Amino acid sequence: MIPAFRSEWIKLRRPSLLLSTYGAIAGISILITILSFALAGHHFGRGGGGGGGGGGRTPITLAQLAESNALAKAFAGFAGLLGIIALAVAGAQTASEYSVGTLRNLLIRQPRRLVLLAGKFIAVLSFSAFAVLLACIVGVVTAFVMAHIRGISTTAWTSSTGLADSGKAFGEVVLAVCGYTTIGMIIGSLLRTPGAAIAVGLVYILPFELILTATVNGSDKWLPGQLLGAIASGGTTDVSLHTAVIRALAYLVVLGGGAAALFARRDVTA
Amino acid sequence: MTSAIETQNLTKRFGDRLAVDHASLHIPTGAVSGFIGPNGAGKTTTMRMLLGLVRPTDGTGTVLGEPLSKPERYMNRIGAMIEGPTFYGPLSGRANLVALARLSRLPLQRVDEGLERVGLTDRGGDPFRAYSHGMKQRLGIAAALLPRPELLVLDEPTNGLDPAGIGEVRTLLRSLRDDGITVFVSSHLLGELEQICDHVVMIQSGRLMYQGTVEQLVAAQHTEVWARPEAPADAARLLAALTASGRTARLDGPWVCVVADEDCAADLYRLAVREGITLVHLSTRRQSLEQAFLAMTGTVSGDIAQGVPSGVGSAVSSGVGGNGGGR
Repeated sequence: MIPAFRSEWIKLRRPSLLLSTYGAIAGISILITILSFALAGHHFGRGGGGGGGGGGRTPITLAQLAESNALAKAFAGFAGLLGIIALAVAGAQTASEYSVGTLRNLLIRQPRRLVLLAGKFIAVLSFSAFAVLLACIVGVVTAFVMAHIRGISTTAWTSSTGLADSGKAFGEVVLAVCGYTTIGMIIGSLLRTPGAAIAVGLVYILPFELILTATVNGSDKWLPGQLLGAIASGGTTDVSLHTAVIRALAYLVVLGGGAAALFARRDVTA
Repeated sequence: MTSAIETQNLTKRFGDRLAVDHASLHIPTGAVSGFIGPNGAGKTTTMRMLLGLVRPTDGTGTVLGEPLSKPERYMNRIGAMIEGPTFYGPLSGRANLVALARLSRLPLQRVDEGLERVGLTDRGGDPFRAYSHGMKQRLGIAAALLPRPELLVLDEPTNGLDPAGIGEVRTLLRSLRDDGITVFVSSHLLGELEQICDHVVMIQSGRLMYQGTVEQLVAAQHTEVWARPEAPADAARLLAALTASGRTARLDGPWVCVVADEDCAADLYRLAVREGITLVHLSTRRQSLEQAFLAMTGTVSGDIAQGVPSGVGSAVSSGVGGNGGGR
């Protein structure tokens, strides 16, 4: 499995994939952090200078940004986007092995299919985890710079509570993004075409689940994408972190096991 | 001779289509064996089954003495290139080989050896997508050579190569055979295979038509004796004399062709002298592998081509028996 992992990383670290994926993630992380701090405390709404009932809203206040869990909250809010990127990359990478025909080369050198799959899976998971780590580092550095510019105290961030909150949020986001990555690999393995894998993955996670959640009461407690979102947020009012992890894991084990069994038995004709 | 590959009734069905039909292969160890057949005949599917990429519907077999159902037991001793070279386009040729070497725990010096053997050392750092077709083919062969294989399975390694590239592959395959490596190679270029193969397997519509040595196959075919009288009008007279003597002959312009064995040339010469016909040309022609293939299959396929021009074409008789395989 380790040879398969190392072999996969030679492909994953190619500049075109590494720079585009990690560059995009770093860029988005910086942009979201800057916007969060720049817009904090500003009042948005149609009511103009009216005192109340104007429909205005305040996204986040400066005081909230100074709280110990501010970084954790900001990071959790970014998890969905990271997950979508991870799903698309994993789906495309897995499916392209079929569509390009490189899978047969790999299977000639590693005929134990499940060993190959496990090595590739762990490599792609680690690729996603590094992406989360990068987003975290870039976001935190940008947050400290922006806090200094806007005169926000960062004392609470570096307190033991703040560090614990941030560490927990990081772990939860890594867990959620690994879930999205697994879904991407499952879809890529089943569809075997990068375009179709990305399209189906995004359509399912975004409009399909969102529409279902909005129309079917309580469905957010059971849909895989919603459960991963709940994990990234450390649990929601509807579903606890523990329940979300168990249910998401059940989905991934069943679907992943099915995809792995298919991978092990399916003829490689491309 | 021991077998590197031995199968019994190997069969593959894709839905309603029978891709390989009860193929019982015997590929001798230490030889270059050619795999001949038109597109869609089942060559690639057969090779995929041997490599564990495709699961046989029926049949059994062994590869390097290990059961076909356990490819993990023998694949580390096999090098293969199936259906053309496919690698990661943005990665360099060298990085692609390193990825494959890492996958099977091979020392990285094998990568440089492979690149050197196929003449890609100077271009190893270039992205695969920037390679010419010939370079891609050569990289595919380098990848196949990575494990220093006992058995090399190559599917159309000369596809798209220019004559110089084809010559290089021919030389490479000969040198591999000299190193004791068993080579199982498919190609459309029958003239090329004829030059390098000791053994040949013919397949059509999923069925084995012949397997055995090239010499046996060609020897089993009739020889043609071609004669051209000095006076074109004498061709018809010579044909009549040959027919009267019980020979099967035909006219082809100013030429008279007799399908017989090589000894017939002397008889034909004596007959011409007796008839007072002066010959300006008398030659015997052994049939090529392509002609033998066409005789075996009874069809002319545009997919099958000779690598070397065969000169005067001729019809060949059918019904040559193989030494196994066909049902």
